[in-house]
Amino acid sequence: MSSLFSPDAAGGLSVGDAQRAGSAAAHAAAVRRRERRAQWHLVFLAVFVLGPLVAYPLARLVLLSLAGAHGLSLHAYTAFFGNPESRGVIGTTLWILFVSAGLASVLGVALAAILFFRPFPGARLVTRFLELFVAFPSFLVAFTLIFLYGSQGSVSIALQRLLHRDAPPLDFLFGIGGVILAEVVFYAPFVVRPTLAAFALLDMRLVEAAKSLGASGWMVAARVILPLAWPGIAAGTILCFLLTFNEFGILLVLGSAHLVTLPVAIYSSATVDLDLPTAAAGAVVMLAMSLSLYALYRRVDRRAQRRTADGR
Amino acid sequence: MAVNPDHISLPKHPRARPVTRALAPRIASGVLLALAALLCVWLFVLPVAVVALSSVASHWSGTIFPDGFSMRWFERLGSSDFDAVVTSIEVGFGVAVLGTALGLWLALALEGRDRRGVGALVDLLAMVPNGVPSVVLGLAVLIAYHKAPLDLSSSAAIVVFVQLALVLPFCYRCASAALRPELTVLREAAASLGAPPSMVLRRVVLPQLVPAIRASLALGLALSLGELGATLTVYPPGFATVPIVVVGEVERGYYLPASALSLILLLVSLAALVLIAARAPRRAAD
Repeated sequence: MSSLFSPDAAGGLSVGDAQRAGSAAAHAAAVRRRERRAQWHLVFLAVFVLGPLVAYPLARLVLLSLAGAHGLSLHAYTAFFGNPESRGVIGTTLWILFVSAGLASVLGVALAAILFFRPFPGARLVTRFLELFVAFPSFLVAFTLIFLYGSQGSVSIALQRLLHRDAPPLDFLFGIGGVILAEVVFYAPFVVRPTLAAFALLDMRLVEAAKSLGASGWMVAARVILPLAWPGIAAGTILCFLLTFNEFGILLVLGSAHLVTLPVAIYSSATVDLDLPTAAAGAVVMLAMSLSLYALYRRVDRRAQRRTADGR
Repeated sequence: MAVNPDHISLPKHPRARPVTRALAPRIASGVLLALAALLCVWLFVLPVAVVALSSVASHWSGTIFPDGFSMRWFERLGSSDFDAVVTSIEVGFGVAVLGTALGLWLALALEGRDRRGVGALVDLLAMVPNGVPSVVLGLAVLIAYHKAPLDLSSSAAIVVFVQLALVLPFCYRCASAALRPELTVLREAAASLGAPPSMVLRRVVLPQLVPAIRASLALGLALSLGELGATLTVYPPGFATVPIVVVGEVERGYYLPASALSLILLLVSLAALVLIAARAPRRAAD
C-alpha cells in the first residue's frame, strides 16, 4: 500500500499537476479569447446590421420631431396636436384600443377555455384554422366585413327582410363600431394561442383533485385554473393590446373617412400633407406609448416563462 | 365469491357529484358548445369564405347572397394587377430569405448571451420592431433614407428594407427558439471531436435548424405579403404591392375586383406556405 505513496510517485503527480494547471490556464485563456471575439461579433451586428435597420431610423425620427429653425423646439408637436382635425386623437385611439382589445381578450380567453376544456367535434380543426388566421392580412378582414355588415351587406339585408323594415338596419361599419368589430374579430385568435399554451402547461391533477373534492366548474376556473395560468394569459392579453394599438389596415379601410386615429393622422400628415416634421411628432408620441406597452409585455412574458421553467 | 357488478350499490355521499348528469344541464351545455362552435365559424371562417365568394360573384350588393357567379373579375384584372402580384412575390421572397438569414445569424451570435451586457442590448434592438407601429417604422425609415447620404426613396429597396426590419424579430425568435440546450450538446460533441467551426455549422447546426428555417421563411413571406402600414408609407412612385392596390380599390368602392385580387394574394401565400412548410417534420409544427 505504502509503495503507492513513494516520493517518486508524488513527484510524478506534481509534474502532472503542473501540466494540468498549464493546460487549464491555456483553456481558460482560449475561452476568454473566444468570449471576447463573440462580444466583438455582437458589437459588429449591433453597429452594422441593427443600427441602420432599426436604431438609426428611430433616432432620426426623434431628432426630426424636435428640430426647429433654431435648435430644439416643440413646434412640430404643437402643430400636430393643435390641428383641429386631430384634436382628441389620443383619446379616440385609446378608447378604441381599450374597448376592442378588451373584448378581443375576453373572447379569446373564453374560446381557448372552451377549446381546451370542452372540446367539441372539430375543435382541433378550429385551432389549426385560428393558427392560419394569424397569416390573414388585417385589412382583408375589414374589407370582408363590408360584404357582411355594410349597409348593403348580407347580414344587414337579411335583418331588413326579417324585421320587415324599409331601410337596412345596420349602418355602423364605417366608424367606431366597425373598427371595433373588425379588431375584435382579427385579434381574438392572437389571444387564443398563448392562452391555449398556458392551459397546456397546467397540472391537470390539480383540476381533477379540486373537482373530486366537490368544487363546481366556476370554482375550479376561478380558484385553480386562473391563478395557475394567469401569467401566460396576462402575456397574451398584453400582446393583444400591443398589436391592436399598432393596427393600421383596419383603421385605414373602415375609419379613415369619419374617424381620426393616431396612425391614420400620422399617415395622412406624412403622405397627404407631405409634412414630415409634424408627422414625426405624432409618430414619436405613438412610439413612446407602444414601446412602454412592449416593455410591459417583455416583463410579463419573461416572468411567465420563468414560472413555466420553474414548474418543470 | 363472484359478485354481480349490477348489484353493487355505491355508498351514498350526499355531496358527491352524480356520475351521470341530469338531462337539462346536459342539453344546456350542449347548446352552449354548439353556440360556441357557431360563433367560431361566424367570426373566423365567414370572412375567409366571403373573400372567395365575392370574387366570383357577378354582383353582390343589397342581397343576402351574390346575384350570380362569373369569372369576369378575374378576366378583367389588368397587367398592373399582375405586376403587383409579381412585385409582392418578389419582395416577399427577398424579405423572407434576408430576414431568415439575419435572424439565424443573430440567434447564433446571441446564443446564451442575451441576458447580460452587449448581448442584452443587441437582443433588445433586434426585438424592438415588434413594439413599433408599422406606420411609425415606415415613417422613420423614410426620414432616415430619403435624401443624401443614402437616398433609397425612389427604389423598391426601401420597401424591402422596411419590411425586413418588421419581420426580423419574428425570424430571430424562430431561430433562437430552435437552439435548445439539448441540441447544443451535439454541437459541443462535434467540436470536441475536432470538427472545425465551419464544419460544425454545416453538418450539425444547420441540419438541426431546418424546421426552424422553414418556419421562419414561411412566417417572413406571410407577413411580407400582407404588410400594409409601413409599405404604404414608404413606397416609391410606380411601385405597388397587392395590399396597396387592394386598399386603393376598396377606398374607391371597387369591391369585387379588390376581392378577386385578394383571393389571388391569399392563394399565392397559401401555396408558398404549403411548399415551404408542408414537408417540415411534425415536431416543428407542434
